[in-house]
Amino acid sequence: MVSLNQPIVEIKDVYYQYPGAKQPVLNGANLNIEQGEFLAIIGGNGSGKSTICKTINGLIPHYFSGNYDGEVTVKGKSVKDQAVATLSHHVGYVYQDFQNQLMKLTVLEDVSFSPLNFGYKDYKEKAQQALELLGITHLQDKTIWELSGGEKHLTALAGALALNPEILIVDEPVAQLDPQHATELYDKLKFLNDELGKTIITIEHHTEFIANYCKQIALIENGKVMWHEDVKKGLYNITKLQETHIYPPQVTQAAMQLDSFASNDDMPITVEEAVDYFKDYYFLPDSSRYKPNLQITNSATVSVSNLQHEVKLLNKERRRVLDIDEIIVNEGDKIAIVGNNGAGKTTLMKSLAGIIKPKQGEIMVNGIDVLKTPVEKLSSHISYIYQNPEEMFIQDTIENDISFFGDVRNMNQDDLYEHIAESLNMKNLLPLDGRLLSGGQQRRSSVAIGLGMLPTVMMLDEPTASLDIGNRKQLVDILHSIRDKVKTVLIATHDMQLVAEWATRVIVMEHGKVIFDGTPKVLFDNVEIWKQAGLKLPQIAELSLALNIHPALSVDEFVGRIKEAQVNGFNG
Amino acid sequence: MDLTAKIKDVLNVETIKLELIKTAFGKPDVYFSKIDARLLIFWYLIISLLPWFTFNNTILITIIIYTTFLAIISRVSPLILTLLFIGIITELFTIFVVTTFFAGVNLDAILPILTLSMKIFIMSIASVSVFASMSPEKLSDGLLSLGLPAQFSFAVSYAFRMLPILLDEYHQIFQSYRLRGLTPEKHGFLKWRLIYYYIKVIIQSFYPLMLNVAKRTRLTVEALEVRGFSYSLHNPEAKKQKLSYLKFKKQDYLFIISQTIIILLILWFGATFPS
Repeated sequence: MVSLNQPIVEIKDVYYQYPGAKQPVLNGANLNIEQGEFLAIIGGNGSGKSTICKTINGLIPHYFSGNYDGEVTVKGKSVKDQAVATLSHHVGYVYQDFQNQLMKLTVLEDVSFSPLNFGYKDYKEKAQQALELLGITHLQDKTIWELSGGEKHLTALAGALALNPEILIVDEPVAQLDPQHATELYDKLKFLNDELGKTIITIEHHTEFIANYCKQIALIENGKVMWHEDVKKGLYNITKLQETHIYPPQVTQAAMQLDSFASNDDMPITVEEAVDYFKDYYFLPDSSRYKPNLQITNSATVSVSNLQHEVKLLNKERRRVLDIDEIIVNEGDKIAIVGNNGAGKTTLMKSLAGIIKPKQGEIMVNGIDVLKTPVEKLSSHISYIYQNPEEMFIQDTIENDISFFGDVRNMNQDDLYEHIAESLNMKNLLPLDGRLLSGGQQRRSSVAIGLGMLPTVMMLDEPTASLDIGNRKQLVDILHSIRDKVKTVLIATHDMQLVAEWATRVIVMEHGKVIFDGTPKVLFDNVEIWKQAGLKLPQIAELSLALNIHPALSVDEFVGRIKEAQVNGFNG
Repeated sequence: MDLTAKIKDVLNVETIKLELIKTAFGKPDVYFSKIDARLLIFWYLIISLLPWFTFNNTILITIIIYTTFLAIISRVSPLILTLLFIGIITELFTIFVVTTFFAGVNLDAILPILTLSMKIFIMSIASVSVFASMSPEKLSDGLLSLGLPAQFSFAVSYAFRMLPILLDEYHQIFQSYRLRGLTPEKHGFLKWRLIYYYIKVIIQSFYPLMLNVAKRTRLTVEALEVRGFSYSLHNPEAKKQKLSYLKFKKQDYLFIISQTIIILLILWFGATFPS
């Protein structure tokens, strides 16, 4: 038994160097985790977040060789003395790429995989209990490949829960899930933490989620745990170190801008707290709200009319996945296509690129009839960048991948490639294989490949998924910087902050239909629409709505409207 | 819908993917799926080995009729059957052309090869009907209980789990090639340039797929370790629990009896009317 004072996990002076690596990933890390904590581990890419978690479940040092030094204990016992299999009764682990940890065909089989491996007679009951805890008993007979991303993630979590571990480690859940599913997952983790007293450790970049759910927060940098605090103090600490590419929640940023001398106790971190904090302020009405967008010319680059597409299902039924009356995209548009998973965003983009040929309708791009033209002839007009960059790496180096399009067409564009590599700051990546790059580098490379085709219209599918905040910022910069090459850009995304920062126009899709088409401000104001589509607004827009003012798109705008109000003293 | 549209509707990647998945994942309601997996594997071995001990064409033809009947009641996907028949017909046609070329119009050379083709056909159709109606999990457990190593039987069920993922990923990579590739300007005689181009892309798409899979496997192996798979390899109790549901029931004994009678009947029929 663990005594009351002893932490459930103790990490003492741990050093670890992966075999073949030049530098240690963990460099004297110390961390004590108490029973019942809901801990968020934050830090930049490559800081050692995942590695430190792997020392807790014993993969390091038992499974990974390499230089290891130090002492990790779980429930008072040294990890070194216990096998990975034994430790998995105490520590459950859900990977960022959770798809790869699902081993079996059906949900129940997969969840009972661990208990069965240990030869428990009641393996089925154990699995069913885990499914029940997460409320996904109805999925038990489904095959894994039928599940949506969110359901797969819950299945992976149930698989880890089936051995009833006291500690659960979840690696970057928000990166791979849409906001609705991410919220659902955090609700379940909170339940496990509150009601069953499980210790939860998540690796997380999104401070809004941390603010809403976690109790503690630890920052890892250069293989060391810099601090480990309760969530409020921790998020306040972050405001002091914005250069590490981690940003406090938007409401905290707003409060900081107003009063940079405030102490951590006054800082709001959630929307509820922020409503309290800002309720006595006066706000100017939004002056930019009805400004027409002057940049847009009236020449249609893409026009879609009466588009319908359906797919066959396993039971021979057909399901309509696209049903669009009309979309006109003008030159210069920056369009975000939003909506839940399965709303038809990817199908629409692939139809525009000519990859999917819809059953009915008309698509014109630069005056070319897409439905009658092979993909190969369309790509110089409209290019599509996959959600998973690895599926775009068809050559042995990034350099060859970027020039592939031009090479097969005998175009001499070396200057162009040079320019692309320079403007995306990726010259060092050119001689490497795309598969070996980090997530952010892969994304940059895939954008470069798209630019190499010199398209008039560029489409990106979920470009910010699985990027940390630093890489995300870089991508937004890239999106702004490609404006001189590509006039019109479409992005399918869940990231409403990206929509607020970048888009001039939002198309909301649901069940294959367009249910909204307009500016982000008008959308955020339209509560029914975004609720119906399952969207999650940026925190600052949520706060604006809660304060009964027109939604602000950015922290700066929000704060800007306050200051003037204080001077002029009238309410908006 | 005109004919080409109809063909396009049936012969596209999505449909082929669905058919393959349906074939791979078994159908819970067909006759074979209720029979014990070990028994089915044993039955399959007998039916596919038996033809190799006879040159009696009557026996072979009767077995073909019987196995085709079984394939139909197992509701084997029409796509798979069509592919099988296209294979058989082109093979027969080639044999005919080659023998005619070398020996003139003469059945002496064709007949022995025809017998060989029948034997191969029996093997293929029996395997399609047995394995298409068995769920992968059942197959893998059957193999495990027959004494094959746990690594092997796990690999079988894991391969089925990966199949849809691989199909999807292959499709994406193929499209990637097309997105950036260039179809030949001139299609050439019988569009051979175009066909050559597509064959090239089909082959090239496998390379990125293999690399992507190799990369992913590292994580899978790690997860296997965490989920206690390597522990189960040394744990007899785990195997016992896993296979505890495999028990011979009434329908299994009925299956043994009926199949023995049918096979004996076929042999008797062949012996009475040899050809």
